[in-house]
Amino acid sequence: MAPSKPGRTRTAAPVRPHQFPFGGRYAAYTLFDATGLLYLLVGFVALRVVWALGSGQAAWQEMLRQLGHPLYVAFHALCLVAVVFVAVRFFRLFPKAQPPRIGPLKPPPRPLIQAMLYAAWLAVTAGLALVLGGGLF
Amino acid sequence: MHRLLLRLEPLVWLLFGQGILIGTMLLTPWLLVVGLGVPLGLVPAEALAYDRAHALGSNPLGRLLLLGLVALPLWKGAHHLRSLSVDFGGGSRDAAVAALLYGLAILGSFAAVAAVIRL
Repeated sequence: MAPSKPGRTRTAAPVRPHQFPFGGRYAAYTLFDATGLLYLLVGFVALRVVWALGSGQAAWQEMLRQLGHPLYVAFHALCLVAVVFVAVRFFRLFPKAQPPRIGPLKPPPRPLIQAMLYAAWLAVTAGLALVLGGGLF
Repeated sequence: MHRLLLRLEPLVWLLFGQGILIGTMLLTPWLLVVGLGVPLGLVPAEALAYDRAHALGSNPLGRLLLLGLVALPLWKGAHHLRSLSVDFGGGSRDAAVAALLYGLAILGSFAAVAAVIRL
């Protein structure tokens, strides 16, 4: 929330760092934000797929046929690269963002948090891929 | 508008954070199987036969997962694109950009709820 009255401290005008947007560490930062476009698009594509599933067999078959188009395949391959990039960067960042204490408890050591995130990611990916791919159920 | 965005910030950050964490975890198998595996013939097409896909998607857990798969990445996308817009264009247009992007995420989220209800 904004303060109720302006503070007394004078602030300098923001200055864009000279390495922004693709120099030094800013490249990964900018790319991390730019994955937002792919997430937004793939969310709407997934919405189309779910909508087609609810529209009956003919609509579902047509949707699957469209997903085989090379543009869709290339888009999904790019999204997979983005998703892996986001996961790796976020899983490295997440342990550093933990508070020093959570109530009476201290959070686990950073490497342990990171290992748990990777384990959860691998477990969810393997489990759901098996279910979707017909290996389970 | 700016005050409203500030008030909504905790909710937006919750959805954005879950979009990164849960959205990424759900998108990975979705992209591997639905986006690439079946179209490229690496996974048998029968895995996504209509009856099987509908049975998987229409049970309560399936609906919940599909809702998360669709809605959460929209919020991650909207918030990161807003951040990118501020970084490149400054804050003068932030309210309009945020309204547009969060509006898209809200519309998509409601559509996702409708999509999983009609399964």
